[in-house]
Parts: sequence; structure tokens; C-alpha cells
Amino acid sequence: MRNYQSVLILKPDLEEAQVDQSVEKITSILKKFGGSILKLDKWGKKRLAYRVKKNKFGYYLNIYHTCEPGKVPDLEKEYQLYELVIKYLVIRLEARDIERVMSQAAEVSESSETDGEENSKKDSTAEESD
Amino acid sequence: MKNQRKKRTLFMQKICRFCSEKIQYIDFFDTKLLKPLISERGKIVPSRISGNCARHQRQMTEAIKRARSIALLPFSVEH
Repeated sequence: MRNYQSVLILKPDLEEAQVDQSVEKITSILKKFGGSILKLDKWGKKRLAYRVKKNKFGYYLNIYHTCEPGKVPDLEKEYQLYELVIKYLVIRLEARDIERVMSQAAEVSESSETDGEENSKKDSTAEESD
Repeated sequence: MKNQRKKRTLFMQKICRFCSEKIQYIDFFDTKLLKPLISERGKIVPSRISGNCARHQRQMTEAIKRARSIALLPFSVEH
């Protein structure tokens, strides 16, 4: 079993419920290929550096997961066929990289929650200025 | 005075910014880190200008290329 990182761009005009639904779907896809989600980040709606399928914005999902080594092409095919995903990237992570990610996640959860709220506020003001 | 300044910039030693910050792994989604390393046109800045060491330049190039493919950084500037 190898560790991978998938970044998916979903359509920008999705509601939270639809995002959660797509996360469930992706989990089931991963399960089909013998993998499981280690960590999931929602980066939220972001401006794309260039247009993708006529979209200027996209909803980013960052998933650290495991998968059977030979099944990645099939996984990518599933991403292609899933109509809410407009772009995807799957990269392999070495064991030490995934450890680093997981230790970082532990540190973040330990630090106080008020920090996170401040960050989200900053993000929202940044979007407005765009 | 002017001459002195010129000379100093000419022989200023460039330092790899990843080595000085002791970064082991360059994340491709860390656009704040990668943004200064692409030119106005979206090109990757060569190490002879940025002063990065060869190892970090290689890692950085890969990170920038990944960021491009997932639309975090531009391939070229839109017009």
C-alpha cells in the first residue's frame, strides 16, 4: 500500500451539501481501489490561475490517502468520469513525507482554535478584495 | 559612491532561500513560497538569478510544474 496525495478541483457553484456528497463518493471510489483517506483538507473556493473548462473559480479538495500501487490509472479514470471534478492531480508521497504531513496536522489541531477563525476571516476579506 | 555600490552588488553572494530557511520538502501548493520564483511572465526564475542551490532548484522546479498543472500557478500570463 502506497501513500498518495490527490488534489481535486470541483465546480465552483456547489453548495456545502454537494461538496460533502462528493467527498463521500470519492471515499467510496478510494475504497474500491483498496485505499482509505488519511487526511482531508477543504481549501474552499479559489481563483484559478487559468480557465479550466470555462471556469474561473474552483473548489479545491486536498486528500492524503492510500491506494493499491497498480490502481492509480483506474483511480484517475474515475476522477475523469466524475462530472463534478474539473481537474485533478495525483502524486505519490514517500513514507517520510506522509509522516511529516501527519505530524503537521497534529500540531495544527493542538494549537488553539481561535487561530483558525482568524485565518478564515482573513481569507474572506482577501476574496472580497478580488 | 555610485561605483562602490555597483561593485558591491556585483560581488554580493547569493544565498539559497530554501537552505537558509531549512526547508526539507517544498510543497507544490505553497504558492506564497513559489510566487517569488516565477517571473512576471510566469516563467521559472533560473538559479543563476535566484541564487538557489542546485538541489533546491530541482525540487522547486518540480513543485512549480505541479502547481501549474492544478491551476495554482499560471503556465503563462493571461491576456
